[in-house]
Amino acid sequence: MPSSWQRQLAKAISKIENMDPQALSEAASLPLDNSSVQIIGVTGPPGGGKSTLCSQLIQALAAEHKVAALLVDPSSPFSGGAILGDRIRMQALVSNPNVYIRSLSNRGNAGGVGSSVVSILREVMSYSFDYILIETVGAGQSEVKIASIADTTLVVSVPNLGDDIQAVKSGILEIADIFVINKADLPGVDSLYTALRESAQKQVDGWTAPLCQTVALEGLGIDALLVEIDKHWQWLQQSGRLLEKRKFAAKFEIMELSRVLLQKHLDKVPAEVLARNLNRKDINLLQRLDEVYAEILNLFGEV
Amino acid sequence: MAPIRVLMAKPGLDGHDRGAKVVSRALRDAGMEVIYTGLRQSPDQIVQAAIQEDVDFVGLSCLSGAHNSLFPKVVELLKERGAGEIAVFGGGVIPEADIPGLRAAGIEAVFTPGTSLEEIVSFIRERVKKDHA
Repeated sequence: MPSSWQRQLAKAISKIENMDPQALSEAASLPLDNSSVQIIGVTGPPGGGKSTLCSQLIQALAAEHKVAALLVDPSSPFSGGAILGDRIRMQALVSNPNVYIRSLSNRGNAGGVGSSVVSILREVMSYSFDYILIETVGAGQSEVKIASIADTTLVVSVPNLGDDIQAVKSGILEIADIFVINKADLPGVDSLYTALRESAQKQVDGWTAPLCQTVALEGLGIDALLVEIDKHWQWLQQSGRLLEKRKFAAKFEIMELSRVLLQKHLDKVPAEVLARNLNRKDINLLQRLDEVYAEILNLFGEV
Repeated sequence: MAPIRVLMAKPGLDGHDRGAKVVSRALRDAGMEVIYTGLRQSPDQIVQAAIQEDVDFVGLSCLSGAHNSLFPKVVELLKERGAGEIAVFGGGVIPEADIPGLRAAGIEAVFTPGTSLEEIVSFIRERVKKDHA
């Protein structure tokens, strides 16, 4: 019965996500250099078809392999709550014993994924999956953290989101190991193809990102995409880049976890200073904050 | 504090998910993480998703009239798979006369048309408090 190990994994992920110190340190003791599992990141704009594409990839891969998917959606900036809806496109896979699917809130983090995602990855990796997919929140131009985490990053584009200058801007397009033009049955696909081809043709460290076209809703182009995903995997292993990528992920993990802990302290100090000053009768916060600012600067010191 | 996680699901064959979506939004606005699974879910799919997502609650919405068989089935499968501590509540067009039977089958609360969103939110919060007490 898959329920029991899935339940155990699900509970472990929750603890890590909630930054339980013991769970985090237990996860940190798990290896990240396992080269029998490929971590595939999928990013791109909201509504670009990421979930549908992931669903197709999972279905194809799960025919012979064990697959986990981590699906990240944004949290509300007001309540901190979230509606995690990526599963809707994947419910057909839920009863497949080879598949584990988990929805995650980004818990207010910019960059497309939550802070604890690498620690979660370590935990998931320890369950001997062959593939782990990470779907980011709908990404704009600068949600590039996924590239620090995944072995193979897919950047999904769709026709008609803007003129061709969008394709030469910096940011998300620079992180693609594989470009995917989804909804390739829509008009406008040719000009997007032409615009992306220039970014795609550039060789980085000996890898030239291929440009794939898919219609995920109908399952078109999935097989060809899987071939490219596998080619990238072979290249990562042969070139020795895989372990470099994983080191990158480990660094990302340390930076993120430290940042979260520091942020908690940082949030506390100015709030306390402000609260103290708010009670003073002789200071008008709306006009003069120099004293408060000086006090905060004094507390933190210069970096 | 860890956010409360709720799986919202529509078992059965009716295609009316307005209510489930309105409730999902209210729970989000109350700071909860809502996993929305969409239409036409079998009890098996709902339970497996609830386990994978490690939720505290499963919310079921049914407007087809099949609540008497579908809701208890979800509770039963959760217990069978060792996840009996996940609380189940339900809503939809459910006749008053069916509610005692559903409650007896382990559906902890049944919300019928006209229920305020606050009522659902406070049911969940109270239930969590009780759990931690």
